[in-house]
Amino acid sequence: MLSSRRSFLTVTGAAAALALTGSLPEIETAAAGWTGRPDRRDPFTLGVASGDPLPDAVVIWTRLAPDPLAPFGGMDRRPVEVEWQVAEDEQFRRVVRHGSVKAGPEASHSVHVDVRGLRPWRHYWYRFRVNGHLSPVGRTKTAPTADTQLSELSLAFASCQAIWEGWYTAYADMAKRDHDVVFFLGDYIYEFGIDRGIRPDSKEIINTQQTVTLDEYRLRYSQYKLDPDLQHAHAVAPWIVTLDDHEVVDNWADEAHPSAPPAQFLVRRANAFRAYWEHMPLRFAQLPKGPDMQLYRRIRYGRLAEFNVLDTRQYRSDQAYGDGTKAPGPETADPTRTITGDAQEKWLLDGFAASQTRWNVLANQTAIARLDTKDGPEVLVPMDTWDGYEASRNRILGGAAQRKVRNLVAIAGDLHRSVASDLKLDFTDPASATVGAEFVGTSISSGIDGMDLDPGGQTLLNENPHIKFGNFQRGYVSCTITPQRWVSDYRVVDKVSVKNGTVSTRAKLLVEDGRPGISEVQE
Amino acid sequence: MKIPRQTVIAAGTVLAAALLGSSSVPKATSDVAVSVAPEQLSVVGLPCFPATLNLTMTNTSSKDRYADLTLDPTGPLQLSRTLFSSWLPAVDPDQPVSAPVEVRVPRDAKPGSYKIGVEVDRKRLTVPVTVNPLPPKGPGDNLALGEQATASSTHGNFTLCGALDGDKDSEHWDTLTGWNDGTRAVFPDTYDVALSTPATVNRVELYTLDSAKYPAKTNGLRDWDVQAKVGGTWQTVAQVRGNSAGHVTSTFDPVQADAVRILCLDGNDHTYSRIVELEVYGS
Repeated sequence: MLSSRRSFLTVTGAAAALALTGSLPEIETAAAGWTGRPDRRDPFTLGVASGDPLPDAVVIWTRLAPDPLAPFGGMDRRPVEVEWQVAEDEQFRRVVRHGSVKAGPEASHSVHVDVRGLRPWRHYWYRFRVNGHLSPVGRTKTAPTADTQLSELSLAFASCQAIWEGWYTAYADMAKRDHDVVFFLGDYIYEFGIDRGIRPDSKEIINTQQTVTLDEYRLRYSQYKLDPDLQHAHAVAPWIVTLDDHEVVDNWADEAHPSAPPAQFLVRRANAFRAYWEHMPLRFAQLPKGPDMQLYRRIRYGRLAEFNVLDTRQYRSDQAYGDGTKAPGPETADPTRTITGDAQEKWLLDGFAASQTRWNVLANQTAIARLDTKDGPEVLVPMDTWDGYEASRNRILGGAAQRKVRNLVAIAGDLHRSVASDLKLDFTDPASATVGAEFVGTSISSGIDGMDLDPGGQTLLNENPHIKFGNFQRGYVSCTITPQRWVSDYRVVDKVSVKNGTVSTRAKLLVEDGRPGISEVQE
Repeated sequence: MKIPRQTVIAAGTVLAAALLGSSSVPKATSDVAVSVAPEQLSVVGLPCFPATLNLTMTNTSSKDRYADLTLDPTGPLQLSRTLFSSWLPAVDPDQPVSAPVEVRVPRDAKPGSYKIGVEVDRKRLTVPVTVNPLPPKGPGDNLALGEQATASSTHGNFTLCGALDGDKDSEHWDTLTGWNDGTRAVFPDTYDVALSTPATVNRVELYTLDSAKYPAKTNGLRDWDVQAKVGGTWQTVAQVRGNSAGHVTSTFDPVQADAVRILCLDGNDHTYSRIVELEVYGS
């Protein structure tokens, strides 16, 4: 071990500063089976991340992958001891928690530390060290205690980052703004093969393979997580993530996908879930057991806001009318069909009933509001959104109204367009009660540049009076939430097909306390 | 300042190791049954003519697990993957989990016997691989067979080489053979084959999709130009318009070509270009 310790002291200046603090314990690797063979390659090629903040805890994440596109990320197939530190300051003068954890090949040498014993509602800085290499420093923030009268919360939410369709300029902008927490609402990777795109490596053979096996899903995450803007956005704020379809395969529904019979599809789902967990800052409570993963969960920010993070893929009924865009009918209205599954629905409604917060948020994959996509009297709606599960939608929105949930707001992705809507008890009746507001954020990159308003967006505005705003560029949504109001700032990128796109505010949308729906659109 | 070491996490780490499983401690015996199909392979040094080996792992125990299968080739063998990892459910009846690996060799690979080592849990089996001499590409032979393809795009469910693999059976479409472009309802599309050496050609046989489920008149290629690359320039040597057949022969004046291209202008459903097999002949 002496050799690796020596290389640690001489290789990096930051390491020397660290050694002076005297805060790191001796590396306890002999017992851990680490060979001690010096490895000069940086293992932290995929960055660091943190997530799922609680008042006293946060998950910190990294993965050792000195050769991230090689089998096993270029690691030997043996466990490695990884040290970690959490400090109150960026220079790591006040380290408040530290430890070491074994990273093994069975989980792609990923590290998930559920750091406990932290103070509420404050920033922390964290880093990892292995075999003389120091990771980049990440910044995170704990949640406030449940009874805190929080005066302001800033959050960003994002989705759909098809890497071959654009540069992650939106993430560079997100990282520059000071968000307390970031939500990612699905399509972190895309599973299918593609042989073209706007990045220099988009045509490489590695991109043309669809992901089915565990090694293939792991490789796809490595490809995505190599992006520096994505790494930066992870490194500056905790993320709360959920998945949608493309983390597994296009438009899967529970055990159903046309590519394979259920038993075979569940193997693919298990592989996809395992790779997802390995690459996300999630707790062990979310570790998949084969094809099952407990992903829906609740995260609270004092008395200000409670976030119900949903999973509308794993328990949903198969899409009505064979999927696609169809007219609503008996099948979409069938009360035995569900987008949440019974257990999650009960959990959500019980949570509504027990809520003590000013704002109650559904952090969900896709649009809850009706999206009539056909000009004229004919109605055609997507079968994959909540439109295909009308009874489910009525039970959730009606259930929220019955329980007098305060200030219901939904955030979502999936559509590759920005759509802000009033959530209605009955979307076919404009006079029906508004029970909440929905902000669908556009994609980070999926769909390439887009435009301000495309014909499809114009149709949505024409046909759906509950839709208050639409845009078809790429970007994300930055929100500021106070007890009095919720402001959604739609940040859009002029071009994601070039590296130096410009990000600006396209519109700000307001929701006021006690007044359901969108009260103002500032363009 | 005394810094608390996180004891909760220390306990959690033990739990984590149990939760994550312990494939890191290889066992002398394995509860994963491994099989390969075929049991031995033959391959030639054509760039678009890989041999495919199907790898199968089956969990024979009573406990679900994850497993890693590694591949170790000898000599000139080039593999599309050297790792196959999967969750393996313990179910009754057993559920095999399979994945393919493509095996190629360079054109100048020395014919002979080689092998691929296949290993799971330190249990090893060996797949013999014979590298055969290149097939003759003289007069009357299909000059396109297995040569390097290039396409404007390829749909994710297909392989670029699918139209040069010698399989012209439309019933094998999609999972087994054929090329389908990747840009829906956007034309033209191109599919090229580079000949191994410049050759005189005067006939192209094109097989478009024509199965019982997907007849050519509704799903096949409708309009296309046959082009030959002569001295670095593409020349149109034949044109097909309004086609509804599964097999079309285009004959033209002999031309000395480096490559042959199908310039796809429209399909009968106006969505994708679909070629099951492309053959090129000299007189």
